[in-house]
Amino acid sequence: MFLEIKGLTKRFGGLTAVNQFDMHVNKGEIVGLIGPNGAGKTTLFNLITGVIKLTKGQIIFDDKDITRKKPHQVAQMGIGRTFQLNPLFADFTVMQNVSASFHLHPRSSLLGIYFNTRTYRKNEDYILQQSLEILKLVGLDKVKDELAKNLPHGYQKMLGIARALAVKPKLLLLDEPIAGMNPDEIEFTMTGIGKTNKQGATIVVVEHNMRIMDLCDRVVVINFGQKIAEGLPKEVRGNKEVTRAYFGDEHVA
Amino acid sequence: MSDNQLSTSKPSNSAIGSRKWLKPSVLAVLVAFIALLPAMHHSNYIMHIFILTFIYIIAAVSLRTITISGQFPLAHAAFMGIGAYLAGMASKWLGWSPWVTIPSAAIVTAGIGMLIGYPFARLRALYYAMGSLFFGIGVIYIVYAGGIWSGGYAGLTGIGPMLGFSRIANYYFFLGLTVVSLLALYRFEFSRIGTTLKAIAQSHLVASSVGINEAWYRILAVGVGCFFAGLAGAGYAHYNTVLSPASFNFMATLWLVMYVLIGGIDSFAGPIIGTSILVLLPEFARDLKTYSPFLSAVLLLVVVYLMPQGLVGLPRIIRSWYSERRKGKKIAHVSGN
Repeated sequence: MFLEIKGLTKRFGGLTAVNQFDMHVNKGEIVGLIGPNGAGKTTLFNLITGVIKLTKGQIIFDDKDITRKKPHQVAQMGIGRTFQLNPLFADFTVMQNVSASFHLHPRSSLLGIYFNTRTYRKNEDYILQQSLEILKLVGLDKVKDELAKNLPHGYQKMLGIARALAVKPKLLLLDEPIAGMNPDEIEFTMTGIGKTNKQGATIVVVEHNMRIMDLCDRVVVINFGQKIAEGLPKEVRGNKEVTRAYFGDEHVA
Repeated sequence: MSDNQLSTSKPSNSAIGSRKWLKPSVLAVLVAFIALLPAMHHSNYIMHIFILTFIYIIAAVSLRTITISGQFPLAHAAFMGIGAYLAGMASKWLGWSPWVTIPSAAIVTAGIGMLIGYPFARLRALYYAMGSLFFGIGVIYIVYAGGIWSGGYAGLTGIGPMLGFSRIANYYFFLGLTVVSLLALYRFEFSRIGTTLKAIAQSHLVASSVGINEAWYRILAVGVGCFFAGLAGAGYAHYNTVLSPASFNFMATLWLVMYVLIGGIDSFAGPIIGTSILVLLPEFARDLKTYSPFLSAVLLLVVVYLMPQGLVGLPRIIRSWYSERRKGKKIAHVSGN
């Protein structure tokens, strides 16, 4: 198993946001993590990436225990992520957003950077060229010199994904990548996610929008911090628990 | 995105905008003036004021180096004081030469800054400001408590002078020290390190998600900033040969913050311009000196309302005003035809 989450629990004071949550992801999969608002999806991402500390449980990635790692260490292990809100460096250009995100691969030493050594300059050239590749992949190369904060919403989300790709992630965690997008943008983003997956990244995607299911190999449904269903997209669609979680009791036939 | 925005960022075909030689030549005249000042004007007093300006420029620019990482410390004068007192005490009690005390005081100040910066890296915004403020006040109390060793309330006297009290030699020493410090800090900011710090300032969550060790970079920024604060302080100790705790108290920190804010916090040149104007101007208008805190407050308001980028933005504002006026005239001319 590529990513394994065992008995994950997070309490905020008296509120249990995530409760005894188990989940696994196989290499090469796209797994959808869906559930209504406030179900604990984003909390789960924040727990995996070490942004918030867990109360109980264990997280294993690529045979290594990452349970109490800090966010930058998790990134170093090869997990990239996007954010639902403010997914970027607002005052940087699109290009700078991606090139600044190339912090790990390649990595220059502080002294090398300061004294502008040949290795550093070579690394920077490589980074610029790679950043442009990524921007082409997500279709943002035409706006590469715009300030990130001036981009329309859909573009900002794509830039968030581009930024996460700069980590060269083995596992990519996408937090609501298509929320608030128009149909064209959704189509474009879903194609992009599919392409990234084919290039070798395992993907977990949190969504609200059920359309994301078309892309997923497997879907996990979460509500009130607990797993309520798991399976192939079409199995989950017919699941009564899931319908109840989304639409309430009266809609269950 | 919009055309409107593009046209303001690139002053298109205005005659002034094309005068590319203007900026370097103004800079060259300024540099020549500063370099030749002692030859033109033998007044020790004027050289003294310029030396102080050089020292505060190093301090103000190094304060801004910390702020680009999104931290806003209110203890920078205290770090100057740490450097000054370390150098002063090493000179007085151990008899060390200034050439040894100044660099070593700067290094120790950087170390203390990083040590303090470590727990502080978890604090943000107001908490950071408050925490550093109390640290700065604490430093002054340590000086008070130092008794004979630090000179206490009365101040530390008997520090070895630099370059045999020669005003001209000191002038060129501090000019050189300032130029070297500015070059070093400029390189720091405009390398990938500076970019990383600016990324952290914009979103520490996003920055750490791409593998940036946010806490370490923030501590690094504090270390570099404190190194140059300590350097400026240690230089000051040997130049002045007398130290008073009041030179490094909260008020002194506030002045450094004012130099940065009025000059323009978003630009490297900002604190240089802010310090020059706020230190030099009151000296040349002596009658105003009593009121300088009030004038600074007024200046800050004027800057915030009229020049959101600080005094650094003034030429651009004048330029765009001028080209607007020309455009206005042209339109009037055409419509009059």
